[in-house]
Amino acid sequence: MDWQVRKDGGRLIGQPRGRVDETTWEKFSNDLIAAVREAAAAGLPLTVDLTGLDYMSSRGLRALTMAKREAGDAVAITLAGPNERMREILAISRYDKLFEIVDDVGL
Amino acid sequence: MLVRFWGTRGSLPVAQRAEAIRAKVVRALVAADGRRFASEDEAAAFAQENLDFATYGAFGGATSCVEVEGADEAFMICDMGSGLREFGIDAMRRCAGGHARTYHFFMSHMHWDHIMGFPFFAPAFDANATIVVHSGHADAEEALRRQQEEISFPVPFDWLRATFEFVQHKPGEVVEVDGVEVTLVVQHHSHDSYGYRFARHGRSVIYSTDSEHKLDNMDSEAAFESFFKDADLVICDTMYSLGDSVSLKQDWGHSSNIVAVDLCHAAHAKKLALFHHEPTYSDEDIARMHAETVRYEELVRAERPALEVICAYDGLEVTV
Repeated sequence: MDWQVRKDGGRLIGQPRGRVDETTWEKFSNDLIAAVREAAAAGLPLTVDLTGLDYMSSRGLRALTMAKREAGDAVAITLAGPNERMREILAISRYDKLFEIVDDVGL
Repeated sequence: MLVRFWGTRGSLPVAQRAEAIRAKVVRALVAADGRRFASEDEAAAFAQENLDFATYGAFGGATSCVEVEGADEAFMICDMGSGLREFGIDAMRRCAGGHARTYHFFMSHMHWDHIMGFPFFAPAFDANATIVVHSGHADAEEALRRQQEEISFPVPFDWLRATFEFVQHKPGEVVEVDGVEVTLVVQHHSHDSYGYRFARHGRSVIYSTDSEHKLDNMDSEAAFESFFKDADLVICDTMYSLGDSVSLKQDWGHSSNIVAVDLCHAAHAKKLALFHHEPTYSDEDIARMHAETVRYEELVRAERPALEVICAYDGLEVTV
């Protein structure tokens, strides 16, 4: 799993690529938490660009939860551009009730 | 081994209300679309083949009680939820046919929904019965005795006629019980709970209910992957959605269908039985949860062999 982060349009955008499973979730979690802290320090919201992500298992979903807890009220987290598979996973896990999900990153 | 589910509901027994039955009948009549049936058997066959389980059947509402058949002679039962009453009636029938009157119980924990069937367990009144209660807890006997006290129930424990033995086990120890290897694992739940692995003739069954898998304790996750390893059947607490289990219902001591699938995948388990169903769920809700879990397994399976996901219901039998 690859991870890139950039600032764009008054927000921080983190972009994972590949899949998040039992072999890659720790890197994803660490990168995501670092992005939350960077966004908090800069006073920016965080968009997680999911367009390059194949899927994530519960390990990845739980990393999202850890990030949300780290963010608290300081950083708003939005999930953007999930593919059909990710959209199904977010719905089945009911994470679509925990996170704001938008269709595209809106560059 | 043969696994019989006598109670599969979590937390509180539930019963079908009239409107739920009416809805099933209505859906069946609409599906029949004017057909005529020569007999009830013919109608039953139509229902089996053409209606979904939530319409022609029901998942049931008795709380946790699962029989694992496969010991040399004795009965082996996980938990004493309200499903125990039905098991007790059936066990008396089998004993009348010559079955040994020894009962080995394996207690996940002593919360009310897991012991409430015991006061109605008819074999406890059989002077020729031996009842052995295996637990990881030191206070299993106290919990059963307290439940029979007069303020809660009219029949005190000491009036029961069976011979009782209470055995406390340590997690990780392998004990042989009437030809079956049994191992315990401690689980995250209020006052702790214990999961069990039953193994015989190269086959294994896991009973893991009332077990929360915490986000921030991946060492524990690895321990469960090891405990579930290569199991033929994993009976797993799937009471909540993952979203609920990490938010509103965090620290309520239960797990999700999502985590159950991922643990079974990592452990290379062969079959997962969804268990300890949320009491507020209708049959349609449980069927939907089952379908979603099957779909989730497909979505994250990758190169692994398929994990069969079944949904436990009161009366289900699974051969392992």
